[in-house]
Amino acid sequence: MKSGITMRDPTAETASVLRQRANPLDTLKGRTVALMDIGKMRGDEFIDRLEQLCHDRGVATRRYKKPTNTRVAPREMIADIAAHCEAVIIALSDCGSCTSCSTHDLSDLDKLGLAGVSVLTEEFRQAFEQQKSAIGFDAASIYVPHPMQNKTTAELHAFAEQSVDEILSAICTAAAPNPVRRAA
Amino acid sequence: MHAAFPESGLLIFAKRECDTCAMVEPVLGELARTGQPIVVLTQDDPTFPESLAPIDDTALEHSFRFDIEAVPTVIRMENGKEVARTFGWNRAEWSRVSGVDGLGAGLPDMRPGCGSKTREPGVYEELVARFGDTGFASRRITIGAWDDDIEACFDRGWSDGLPVVPPTDARIIRMLSGTARRPDEVIGLVPPNLLPITVEKVAINAVMAGCKPEYMPVVLAALEAALEPEATMHGVLCTTCFSGPILVVNGPIAREIGMNSGINCLGQGNRANATIGRALQLIIRNVGGGRPGELDRAVLGGPGKLTFCFAEDESDKTWMPLSVARGIAPGKNAITLFQGDGIQGFIDQRSRTPEQLTKSLAMALLAVGHPKLCEFTNAMLVLVPEHYAIFRDAGWDRDRITRELHAAMVRSGADVVQGAHGIGEGIDPKRRDETAVNKFWPEGLLIVHAGGQAGLFSAICAGWTGGRFRHESKPVTREIRP
Repeated sequence: MKSGITMRDPTAETASVLRQRANPLDTLKGRTVALMDIGKMRGDEFIDRLEQLCHDRGVATRRYKKPTNTRVAPREMIADIAAHCEAVIIALSDCGSCTSCSTHDLSDLDKLGLAGVSVLTEEFRQAFEQQKSAIGFDAASIYVPHPMQNKTTAELHAFAEQSVDEILSAICTAAAPNPVRRAA
Repeated sequence: MHAAFPESGLLIFAKRECDTCAMVEPVLGELARTGQPIVVLTQDDPTFPESLAPIDDTALEHSFRFDIEAVPTVIRMENGKEVARTFGWNRAEWSRVSGVDGLGAGLPDMRPGCGSKTREPGVYEELVARFGDTGFASRRITIGAWDDDIEACFDRGWSDGLPVVPPTDARIIRMLSGTARRPDEVIGLVPPNLLPITVEKVAINAVMAGCKPEYMPVVLAALEAALEPEATMHGVLCTTCFSGPILVVNGPIAREIGMNSGINCLGQGNRANATIGRALQLIIRNVGGGRPGELDRAVLGGPGKLTFCFAEDESDKTWMPLSVARGIAPGKNAITLFQGDGIQGFIDQRSRTPEQLTKSLAMALLAVGHPKLCEFTNAMLVLVPEHYAIFRDAGWDRDRITRELHAAMVRSGADVVQGAHGIGEGIDPKRRDETAVNKFWPEGLLIVHAGGQAGLFSAICAGWTGGRFRHESKPVTREIRP
């Protein structure tokens, strides 16, 4: 990613240069989680399974799909999410433009007070970090294996199964990151 | 150094738009024909002079690194080091530097050159930022290539709600040129988080506020005033009341930097007034951590918390300036920080004598805070020229006006104790039997002369409630140093 102008920090530099993200929710009970499909191919298969898994856990969701992964979400969609949901899961970024645009979406929703997390493929970990620092926002992320475009639907569903609890714990402090381990 | 530069030989900096450079073009050819290595660097037109295959220095990096002040400049290099230089055209000097005699036959003996492009206004700071060492200690923050710099400042929480000027190195260097103080000098600890602030951080926030470099001494003095314990900036920031710092500038600097002390001086439209007050508030926000809703708990706040700064009108020599009344020598630059609220207009177009006007002003001043609260806040009266003229023409000076106003505000305890007139608010019931209760502390009424020449409309700024602690919270006046 190309960088733009450089400025100097006007603060006392006691905190991170990144804006702190909105606090995760204390409970998902009675809350609605937006599932934002960024509009990239195959992402819907992952989100279909994620949606099911949320419902299995008693988490209410509301689906959204961006017209294209190559642009930020339409303002109406951001407003609708903010009006109806308390948290947002954005998935599934596996390219540069989707990583950039979806991080901006996450930042915009964060500014409206929504606890959010972005799901990306491992390959875009660094791009996400760069985008975070360019926006100045300490965004949360969960990674699934890369590449995903050549995977079967069953494999994509497995990604969702493996990551759902981690994803939910990123938006809610009461959600357990790994129920299996906790049970043990 | 550039790969094409000779270890030993001549470097010549030139630009086409310089007549002297154009005049010496044949001389450059003469030097080249002597066989010694010669490299011409051109600041404006990469094709000038065509015959000598010049190095394009339109980015001015080499001109900056060699600290070129004028063109043409001839530099002799030996073993990679500069050993001699001259600038402009001077046959003897060129001979000394080049070792070649009889150059430029037919040319005059000497002719001055032109300024280097590196020294054009605004350029040098950009070059220091790009190629030099700024020495800045503050953290660098680089935004994305397509991100909007002003939005990036908003996103990082650096703004008071209005757009700020992005603090780039070139702008900070220019801002620092407005003060003689070192960038790493620590001014003090900024409340509410009590974190140290350097001159460099002041400059960064002054850039963001929109200040010009020549405002820096005033911004620094405003900050020093705010950091005086008596200024109680901590409380003024965190208070649930309306208050913020109101800054009054005295002395010649007010005129020099174009501050407004006349028409609409408490309003919008003057850059110095608007940005000096804003810079102080941005410092409190960004360095001190004083953000509304967090530690700034004002129930309503006030528009003056964005900025509230103006100059006193010192043009009427019968009027003693505020700074002089507060102990600063006449003619010195000074700033006064008053912890106060927005303005309460005072309309009186009927009083003709100083006695009438005093009673009238006193009546309005009694309303400060609450009509029944006494010695609870200070107050600032901004007396406009037409109102002051009524006093002046009767021979009343600052001292007399202040004294008479205090006297006109004295009331009995019974009149203002809690419960009196069926109103719960008021002074301590134990003071019921006092016969003379003052509205303000003797030093708690500040009078400033300012405003347009037409209009019998003065203004009262209520002071912060912290002023009730007479010896703990006071207005502060500081001399402005370069």
